[in-house]
Amino acid sequence: MSAQQMESEHKILKRAGSLDYYLILATAGVLFAISVICVYGMLYFKFASLQQLPAPAKMAYMDTMNIVVAPFVIILILLLGICVPKRLLPARQLNWFGAVLAVACTGVSFLLGIKAGLIVVLAASLLLQLVVLGMAAAGSRHLHFEKSGYWVRVGSSLIHLGLILFVLDLLLYRHPFLHLVLFWVTTGASVLGMLCCFYAQTAANVVRKIRQQ
Amino acid sequence: MEDLVPINLFTQVGNTLLWVLLVVTVFVGASGTVNLFRTAPVLQRITGHLFILLTFVFLAGFSWICWFHYQVYLSLPLELPANLAEYLNRQLEMMNRGAEYGLPLYNPEAPPRYLLPLWLENEKYYFWFMCYAFMALIGHFRLEHPRLRAALHILMAIQVAILFLAANPFTDPLPKFFSAVEPWFTQDLSMGQRFGLFMQLYPKMVFYYNAEYMWFHPPLLFLSYACITMTFVTSIFMLARRELAIEIMGYDYAKLGFFMLTLGMLLGYPWALKAWGPNWWWDPKVCSSIMLWAIYSTYLHTRLYANKPFMWYFSSILGIICFLAMIFTFISSFFFPGEHTLV
Repeated sequence: MSAQQMESEHKILKRAGSLDYYLILATAGVLFAISVICVYGMLYFKFASLQQLPAPAKMAYMDTMNIVVAPFVIILILLLGICVPKRLLPARQLNWFGAVLAVACTGVSFLLGIKAGLIVVLAASLLLQLVVLGMAAAGSRHLHFEKSGYWVRVGSSLIHLGLILFVLDLLLYRHPFLHLVLFWVTTGASVLGMLCCFYAQTAANVVRKIRQQ
Repeated sequence: MEDLVPINLFTQVGNTLLWVLLVVTVFVGASGTVNLFRTAPVLQRITGHLFILLTFVFLAGFSWICWFHYQVYLSLPLELPANLAEYLNRQLEMMNRGAEYGLPLYNPEAPPRYLLPLWLENEKYYFWFMCYAFMALIGHFRLEHPRLRAALHILMAIQVAILFLAANPFTDPLPKFFSAVEPWFTQDLSMGQRFGLFMQLYPKMVFYYNAEYMWFHPPLLFLSYACITMTFVTSIFMLARRELAIEIMGYDYAKLGFFMLTLGMLLGYPWALKAWGPNWWWDPKVCSSIMLWAIYSTYLHTRLYANKPFMWYFSSILGIICFLAMIFTFISSFFFPGEHTLV
C-alpha cells in the first residue's frame, strides 16, 4: 500500500471515527430526552392521581405520553437507521443511503401514515442488520466497527438486531401470539449479543473448547 | 400463625445472625473510615478476613430465609372442602372462557401452596445488600487499592445499618403476606366467606407469589443494583484521579449490571402482559426503569471514548447519575402509585 493510499485510508477512518463519536453523542442526547419525559410522566401520573381515575382517563394519559415520546423514538429509529449501515458503507455512500432512506420514509409517511414510514426505516435497518450479522459471523473485514475482535462484532450486531426487533415488536402489540414470539426472539438476540460483546474472551474460549472436544 | 409456621424461631435465629453481621460490619466500617483519610493504610489484612466472614454470615441468613419459606410451603396450603372445590372449579371454568390468561383449576389432591420467592418485602433489601457484599468482596481482593477498599467497606456498613434499623427481614417477617393469609388459617369462616377469601388469595398467589417470573425479574434487578453501586464507587474515584485499573473494574461491573438489568426488565415484560393486561404502559415504575436503562445505556456508549479527557469525566458523572437514578427508581414504588405499588 502506498503512503498516499495509507494517508487517505487514515483520513477515512478518522472521519468514520468522528462520525461514530457524534452518533454516540446524538444517541446519548435522545436517550437523555426520553429519560426526562419518563420523569415528567411519573410526576404527572402522581399529581393527577391517575391511579384513582377510571380506565378511559388512564388510556388518555397513555395516548398523551405516546404522542410526547413519539418524536424522540422516531429520532432514535432514524439514528438506528444510520448506525446500522455505517458498519457496511463508507461515509459518502452512507450519506446517500441516509438521504434515500429519509426520502422513502417521508414519502411513505405522507402516503400511508407515520407508522408505515417508520416500518420502512425499521425494515431497511433490519435487513441491513441481518447482512451485518451475517458478515460479522463470517469474519468479514469490510465492516466498520469501533472495536475489533470477532465476538465483539458478532455480539454488537446481535444487540442492535435485538433493539430493532424490539421496536418492531412494539408495533405488533395487537397480535398477542406474534408479539410474544418476536419478543422472545428479541430477548434471545439481546442476551446472546451482550454475552458475546461483554465477554468476548470467555465466548472465544468456550467455542475453542467445544471445537477441541 | 405461630402454631402453623415457626415464626418465633425464625425471628430469634435470624436476629442473632443480624447482630453478628452488625458487629462485624462495625469493625469493617470503622476500618474503612480510618483508611479513607489515612495515607498509610492500616488493618488491611484483618479487614479482608472480616469481610469474608461478613459475606458468610450474609449467606447463612439467606439460607435461613430459604428454610423459612420452605416451612411456609409445607404448612400453608389453601384447602377447600370437596363441595366448595367443585363449585369453585365450575366458576373458574366459566371465568377462564375467553380469558387470555386464566386461573388453573383447583386440584383437591394437591391444594395450591405458597412457593414464596426469597426477595419479598424486607427480604429484598437483604438479598440486594448480600449481592453487594459478594461484589464488594471480589472488588476488595481484585484491586489492592486501600482507599477504594475503604469506600466499599463504608458503603457496606451503611447498607447493613439500613438493614438493621429499617428493613430487618427477621423481626415481624413478611407482614403483608401474613396479614393477607391469616384470616384463612385462623378464623372460623362460613362457606361464602371462605369462597370470597379464596378468590382474593388465589389470583394473587398465581400471578404474584407463585409466578415463575418472580424468580428471575426481581433478583436480576437487585443483582444489577449491586453492580451499579460498585460502578458508582469507581466513578467517584475516576472523577478524583485518572486510574485505568479502577476504570476497568468499574466497566466490568457496569457490563454485568447492564446485562442483568436488561434481562431483568425484558423478563418482566411478558409477566406484566399476563398479570396486568395492557394497562401498565407509562406506569411510574416502568417510566423510571426506562429512564435508568437509558442512562445506563448512555454510560456504556460514552465509555467507548473514555480515552478522551472530556469523555472520561463525562462517563464518570454518568456512572454517578446511574446510581442516583437507581435509588430514584427503587423508591419510586413507594412515592409514586402505580401497578408496582399494588403488589
